[in-house]
Amino acid sequence: MKQLRNILLVDDEEDFLETTSRRLRRRSFEVRTAARCAEAVTEVLSGWPHVVVLDVMLPDTDGMECLRRIKEVAPHLPVVMLTGHASLQASVWGLEHGASDYCLKPIELDELVEKIIIAHKETGAPS
Amino acid sequence: MFTFLANLFRPRPKLGPEVIQSALREHFRNFRALLTANNNALELMSAVEEMLHSGKPFGMAFVRGDLTALTVNVYKMMHSLVALSDGRYKDLHERFKIITDQIEAILSRQPEVSGTALVLTMDEIDSSAVDQVGSKMANLGEIRNRIGLSVPDGFAVTAAAARYFMESSQVQDEINRRLKTLDIDNLEALYKVSSDIQDLIRAAPLPDDLETLIREHCARLAHDAGGPIAVSLRSSALGEDSVHGSFAGQYRTRLGVDATDAPAIYKDIVAGKYQSQAIVYRQQRGYRHMDVLMGVGCLVMVDAVASGVSYSSPPDNPRSPWVVIHAAPGLGDQIVEGSTPYDLLHVSRESPHDIVQVRLANSRADHGCLSDRQVRELALLSMRIENHFGSPQDIEWAVDRSGHMVILQARPIGSAVGQMTVPTGDDERESTDRFAEQAPVLLGGVTASHGVGAGEVFKVSCKQDILHFPKGAVLVVETPYPEWAVLINRASAVVSESGQSATHLATVAREFGVPALFDLPGAVALLDNGQIVTVDATARRVYEGRIEALLDAAPHRPNLMEGSPIHKLLKEALVHITPLNLTAPDSPFFKPASCRTLHDITRFCHEKALAEMFNFGRRYGSRDKSAKQLYVVAMPSQWWVINLEDGFREGADMSSPFIRIEDIVSAPMLAIWKGMTAVPWQGPPPVSLRGLGAIIAQSAMNPQLDPAVRSSMSGRNYFLLSRNYCNLSVRLGYHFALAEASFSELLSESYVNFQFQGGAADERRRRRRVRLLGEMLREIGFRVDIKGDSLTARIEKRPVPYLKERLVVLGYLLIHTRQVDMVMDEEGFIDKFLSKVRADIRTILEDMVADSGAEHETTPKHPAG
Repeated sequence: MKQLRNILLVDDEEDFLETTSRRLRRRSFEVRTAARCAEAVTEVLSGWPHVVVLDVMLPDTDGMECLRRIKEVAPHLPVVMLTGHASLQASVWGLEHGASDYCLKPIELDELVEKIIIAHKETGAPS
Repeated sequence: MFTFLANLFRPRPKLGPEVIQSALREHFRNFRALLTANNNALELMSAVEEMLHSGKPFGMAFVRGDLTALTVNVYKMMHSLVALSDGRYKDLHERFKIITDQIEAILSRQPEVSGTALVLTMDEIDSSAVDQVGSKMANLGEIRNRIGLSVPDGFAVTAAAARYFMESSQVQDEINRRLKTLDIDNLEALYKVSSDIQDLIRAAPLPDDLETLIREHCARLAHDAGGPIAVSLRSSALGEDSVHGSFAGQYRTRLGVDATDAPAIYKDIVAGKYQSQAIVYRQQRGYRHMDVLMGVGCLVMVDAVASGVSYSSPPDNPRSPWVVIHAAPGLGDQIVEGSTPYDLLHVSRESPHDIVQVRLANSRADHGCLSDRQVRELALLSMRIENHFGSPQDIEWAVDRSGHMVILQARPIGSAVGQMTVPTGDDERESTDRFAEQAPVLLGGVTASHGVGAGEVFKVSCKQDILHFPKGAVLVVETPYPEWAVLINRASAVVSESGQSATHLATVAREFGVPALFDLPGAVALLDNGQIVTVDATARRVYEGRIEALLDAAPHRPNLMEGSPIHKLLKEALVHITPLNLTAPDSPFFKPASCRTLHDITRFCHEKALAEMFNFGRRYGSRDKSAKQLYVVAMPSQWWVINLEDGFREGADMSSPFIRIEDIVSAPMLAIWKGMTAVPWQGPPPVSLRGLGAIIAQSAMNPQLDPAVRSSMSGRNYFLLSRNYCNLSVRLGYHFALAEASFSELLSESYVNFQFQGGAADERRRRRRVRLLGEMLREIGFRVDIKGDSLTARIEKRPVPYLKERLVVLGYLLIHTRQVDMVMDEEGFIDKFLSKVRADIRTILEDMVADSGAEHETTPKHPAG
């Protein structure tokens, strides 16, 4: 399993991307951000991210569809859904389509970091 | 991953040890993921259940958030189990889907709107129209059409109309979005969001047909009145179940509106649903915003010479013989707003309605604003209304130029929560004499809401002050305006210079169980900001400082959530979540198809995952590969050990069917073991001196000591291990216990869980035993939950050294609580036992501190030596 270092944040809120990536960098993660699904998929195809943190609302496509696309090109890449949308059905849909976790905003940074680490530990390809 | 495992397990041939080890690792990873999810799920279920019973306010955001998180964790458990079991139990998903769909349906249920009429006229309205026009207008219609009293002419714009307006203007989504992220404790944000939302609604266009309808009906009223009219528009909300909540003063009323402006003002009244105090109120009382629909009444203004409020029975004393009347000259809502002096009249409830007590607003006047005849008539009407509705009523009335009595509104008194036992005059004396030795700084006034509260004084005279109001302060005001209600949930008491128990603020204070003392002239000048005071609203006194004796004797605040829509909804959802129907794993009904709740699925997954871990060795045709018998003090014990991953010392003899305790490196197991062996277990029955290992072994072997021992693996005492994980399943004496511990730098993987269930003793003794055990565990920081004779205790998200100490104590208790059984009925035993246990625990923990430098701190002490 790859050492966890690179995190891709996908969200349409500029503020969120900025503060969260700054804080994650302070915890010695490498962070890249994407405001659209298309950019996210390009990053994933490049093989750079070790974990993706994905919002459910995106401007070009809905986050669920984006999850499907990411999983299509990288089935073993852990994706943590992070959203303000508290819905049982959406969360189940996300997990069924390969999300490692479905978390709700607002979230403490410590908790988010743990979710990322656990997702990486649990979802990685078999060694 | 599934296929990887499936291919691995389908044939049962010889596999190389490294393949087995790798499969075991994969297994372990799934197992650990399942356990983490299991812990999260249990924690969430207990948090939700606790919230339901705590009486603390919670909103839909909380409910949805926690239930979504729960769903996620239960799903993860299923997912891990399916992986662990090579695809068996897949049919769990079907059950899971059904259950979560049921829950989602409950959470997103919309309140129904009955009827399609947009407007109903006064003669079309009675109690049966409450689902269309709201209780205020329905009651008024009932008074007009069924009791036959005078009410203003007018019409009601229905809830269907409000929904039509909101839907056609499409502002609801935007409103919901703004409310979703609102923290109502941030008052500045609250005011901003509240005013923005109201602007949105006021700016939204009214559908043409609705506007036309309102204009036509206003024209009809003018025609009937024979000239231009002014109207009042009043909120008459639906969903404000008057048995549960008063919603007093939450919404808007506009008086003296020019009929041509009625459509615009209508929108303003609808917007009033989002006044800041209404948002706070709903949040505190467990209403979803969508549970409340705005009906609006449009009534011809009464040209009044006098108006006021009458209680067919006073709100603070249901057994009183009086009708209580508050009257003031002119018309207005000044009385319920608390801003005007008034005449106070007590009139006998019985005919001929003697007027017994009078206090006039103007003490130099020789008569009040009502004639005696009018006072008696009002008392008579009040009683007729009470008799019709079957309970004491709070009635707003006016007298027009011709001396005619008109009823403006009636609603049941004090039906909301927060009614406390009402002390009589004697109690006032007594409460003061008993508890307060010092003299009050303020004395007198009117009890607007019973009770005692203390805190620092904070004076409020404008909105700016509200923003700085500290939690728990005593709200001190000149006039009890309804707007101050946003502070009710933060205030420990309310003191006002004016006002009485009829004001909206008083109603809300009673409902929230916040003590309120009104009509205390000079209070604002006399009290200083920041000064600590105790307000005894019942005895009508304010004291300097906190008077604990008074506060202790005061009744508790009411459970504000009980019976509210969100409370009901969560309770209904929990039916599909918390009940446990699956209990005995060996029952034929222990299968996916029997899972009816999320708890069932959780239980099923946990149990089956344990079984999978046990059977792992057998899959390869060799059980002993993973399960070994623990070897203690040179003899085999009845303890079994299964190494999940890295729980054995490197170089330990893996071919032996035994494992020596010295070869175990699992930190959590060694901590438990240390506790189990630190202090010898002291009879009865007599203790063998061969060592503690032997004693423990004996208890598991001797059927007289342990009738529960079975030959199958599930009946054995075993540890599942890795370096940082331990799962202990034990039958000692008559008990069944399960201890699970995980050490990790990740706090969510750092925890100790403990379950304990009593066996053969009678019910009373079993309950006493778990209570005793629960008490000990609470003392050392466990969160304990006891249901009947079974106990669950948890500590999570704590650092490793802390958990290690708790595990040692747990190990100790596991062995020593057995003693309780044998001698529990002996006189004075419990106290003796508890003090010994406490002393032992102290010694063990002190030893640990002393040993903490040592590398092998967990080597068991030999009890006989």
